[in-house]
Amino acid sequence: MSSEVGQQHPLSLYFWIWGLLFAVSFCSYLIDFYQVGYEVGTMGLRWTLILVFMFIKAGYIMAIFMHLKWERWALIYALLLPPLVLLVLVYLMATEADYTWLTRVVYFGAEPYPEPDPPPTHAGQH
Amino acid sequence: MAQAEIPYQEALPLHHPHSWITKYWFSQDHKVIAVQYGITAVTVGLVALILSQIMRIQIGFPESWLASFITPDIYYQAVTMHGMIMIVYLLTAFLLGSFGNYLIPLMLGARDMVFPFVNMISYHVYLLSVVILMASYFVPGGPTGAGWTLYPPQAILSGTPGADWGITTMLLSLAVFIVAFTMGGLNYITTILQARTRGMTLMRMPLSVWGIFMATVLGLLAFPALFVSAVMMLLDQFVGTSFFMPAIASAFEADADRYGGGSPLLFQHLFWFFGHPEVYIVALPAFGVVSDLISVHARKNIFGYRMMVWAIVAIGVLSFIVWAHHMYVAGMHPYFGFFFAITTLIIAVPTAIKVYNWAITLWRANIRFTVPMLFAIAFVITFVVGGLTGLFLGNVIVDVPLSDTYFVVAHFHMVMGVAPILVIFGGIYHWYPKITGRLLNDTIGKVHFWITFLGTYAIYFPMHYLGFVGVPRRYYDNLGESTFYPESAAILNQGISVTAFIVGLAQLLFVYNLVASYWRGREAGDNPWGATSLEWRTPQTPPVHGNWGDKLPTVHRWAYDYSVPGEERDFIPQDVPRKA
Amino acid sequence: MAQAAAADYATIVQDWSSDVTTFKGVPWGKAMMWIFLLSDTFIFSCFLISYMTVRATTAEPWPNPSEVFSLEFLGAPVPLLLIAIMTFDLITSSGTMALAVNYGYRRDKKKAVRFILATAFFGAVFVSMQAFEWYKLIVEEGVRPWENPMGAAQFGACFFMITGFHGLHVSAGVVYLVIVAYLIKRGRYDNTNYEIVEIAGLYWHFVDLVWVFIFAFFYLW
Repeated sequence: MSSEVGQQHPLSLYFWIWGLLFAVSFCSYLIDFYQVGYEVGTMGLRWTLILVFMFIKAGYIMAIFMHLKWERWALIYALLLPPLVLLVLVYLMATEADYTWLTRVVYFGAEPYPEPDPPPTHAGQH
Repeated sequence: MAQAEIPYQEALPLHHPHSWITKYWFSQDHKVIAVQYGITAVTVGLVALILSQIMRIQIGFPESWLASFITPDIYYQAVTMHGMIMIVYLLTAFLLGSFGNYLIPLMLGARDMVFPFVNMISYHVYLLSVVILMASYFVPGGPTGAGWTLYPPQAILSGTPGADWGITTMLLSLAVFIVAFTMGGLNYITTILQARTRGMTLMRMPLSVWGIFMATVLGLLAFPALFVSAVMMLLDQFVGTSFFMPAIASAFEADADRYGGGSPLLFQHLFWFFGHPEVYIVALPAFGVVSDLISVHARKNIFGYRMMVWAIVAIGVLSFIVWAHHMYVAGMHPYFGFFFAITTLIIAVPTAIKVYNWAITLWRANIRFTVPMLFAIAFVITFVVGGLTGLFLGNVIVDVPLSDTYFVVAHFHMVMGVAPILVIFGGIYHWYPKITGRLLNDTIGKVHFWITFLGTYAIYFPMHYLGFVGVPRRYYDNLGESTFYPESAAILNQGISVTAFIVGLAQLLFVYNLVASYWRGREAGDNPWGATSLEWRTPQTPPVHGNWGDKLPTVHRWAYDYSVPGEERDFIPQDVPRKA
Repeated sequence: MAQAAAADYATIVQDWSSDVTTFKGVPWGKAMMWIFLLSDTFIFSCFLISYMTVRATTAEPWPNPSEVFSLEFLGAPVPLLLIAIMTFDLITSSGTMALAVNYGYRRDKKKAVRFILATAFFGAVFVSMQAFEWYKLIVEEGVRPWENPMGAAQFGACFFMITGFHGLHVSAGVVYLVIVAYLIKRGRYDNTNYEIVEIAGLYWHFVDLVWVFIFAFFYLW
């Protein structure tokens, strides 16, 4: 797959991806513009949308712009597998952070649910 | 696939040195850089050795005249600097910087590292980090006394020695070291993956290279965590952020509102996310080198080569998910103990596989008790003892009463202090003839070995007992005021101290041997040990810049063809073609 | 297509068990850059994970980034306006970089240099906008690394640390790109395949990639 003389692809491909990235970025911006998640109980939707758009963008940058799509599998796996150990760190640190927060509430008298943000006053007023 | 690939190294342009400076100081030859790394690491290691003697004077003879010069500050600074120097600046730098630099290109049949210039810079940045570290003895307040783990909040609160300048130089030095390591490490990995000679597949590499390779991968992925925690602690100290500083930390400070809302546990997690892989950064090259030493000097192929390789890989992967077994008593999430105890015990499996394989390699082998072999066997014995106590400490319920006692000190000194040092000695005795063309003196070597091996046992084995009777580690005045400990603890401590002085002095024998044999050692010839791997097949000994003359060697077999039945000699070098 | 993919998949074992090189057809510099980026990934991940921990442990209210980073536009505050512009700017620079790499491999030296310089320009614009953002936050909103009128002190600390470190990467990238463009123009790489453009490009795209994560986790979350 990988040619000996480097990566040669039609220019149009890059323009397509460029436009796509713009569109996806715009979508993720819209999440905030329309303040998805400000209704009670919709925070999960907001987080899901953020993550989905983030991974779409990251995926296209890596696959097309960084040419990972055309590299051999040996390289792709060597690059994508090691960061998996970070997921363990993420999961455990999230758990740990919850526990630390709990100790602060239980033992140090921290306010469990701090004052909510004042209701947004701008944008999304349609 | 049938078409043979041409190693890029065949046509690698080398920058040959033109003057003394470019030959010995700013050299781009991996062999010179390796020796530079080695000399710097040994020098800084001798400093750490002196620091350990200071500690032993205080612990063993707190009432003595010498100990009257040792204040608590000096003691804690010695503890901290000894730990940090030994782990990072000696063991990591020597095993990867020195062995890695010397062995990777030679064992793989390459002319040099892929980017010799970056390699050269790497050494000089490392030297800079050592200078910054040593400078901490000359800044106001002296070096930090926070313990090598540098736990905040105490590391940057007044009251800890070196809380303003010492900790700064330490963190800066670590950050600089990480930069140096990254430059070196990128070179090692790229060389191993992209610049092997013809016929050298990954599964034909000597285990030394495998160990160094995996350790470098761990280093590149684990040092970032240390880097990040160093940056955040520097910010806490200078900018006034509170990443690691809880509100209670500033209660005793002049500026009482300075800190608040941070989490010291975050630092501990980040630190050990680096710290545990660091243990294997030190251990894996030692595993690899010792496998080669045992195989060469027992005249037998290493037992279960593939198993050894996969064990190295498995240990490397697992080392990233065991970190919090250092934190059982830190107050972390109560469920974590279960998870980390399990993973810790799992990592014992590949490690045990390696130990069994070394033992089986020795089984009914034609063992030659040369000095490198003695060190290799001593490594296996020491490592087993240290590893077994690791099983104790890996279990939460056993660890809780034992943590922060001398049991822990005994454990980690056995398993990652003494054991890798023994391998470094063994490796130096083994490869010195390659580096200089002369053998180290055998008699001095044997004296050095027996004093070091038996001495370290006499030092660390009784420490298990001290731990069981509850002597805490890192205490300046362990036994002076307290009648809590049995009499035997004080006596043992004196014995340990005396042994430590003897062992410390014996290292001068080694240094003398290194220097004297350079001029007066016996001529070694090309291959004094009858080893098969490529580094013994260079046209010249010691190898010249470029290593291989006009043509790179071609590899036809693995590195462990010893005592092959029906062969004339009891070893077949890797570049000898197979019979049709 | 599926068949080709399966054949590709089989090459993993082939490549890893072959001699000379593991990553076939990958020049040394490119392999080294990839491995460096892997290491750098861990640095940024550790920063972001620390941020996550700090934010989840704090018992004080976390400011709403949507409001903190809003800008007045036509008399009404628009949330995250500047950040959105910065995102589009960085994506644009990634696009020009991709074109530079493409022209490099086509051996169109002039266009490659031009697009590299364009990338560096967009990078510089990004850093300037970031400087403006810092100015606004420090002077107008009164956010400091150690305190924050809107709630948790760690908000400022994390913000300055993470965007600062990313900004340093962008600045270093701009310098790197200018140097590369200069060297190419001088003819230093005339005898090569212009892989250097791709290597510089990898770094630049990585900086963009990190911004994608920062944008999602810090500004949007």
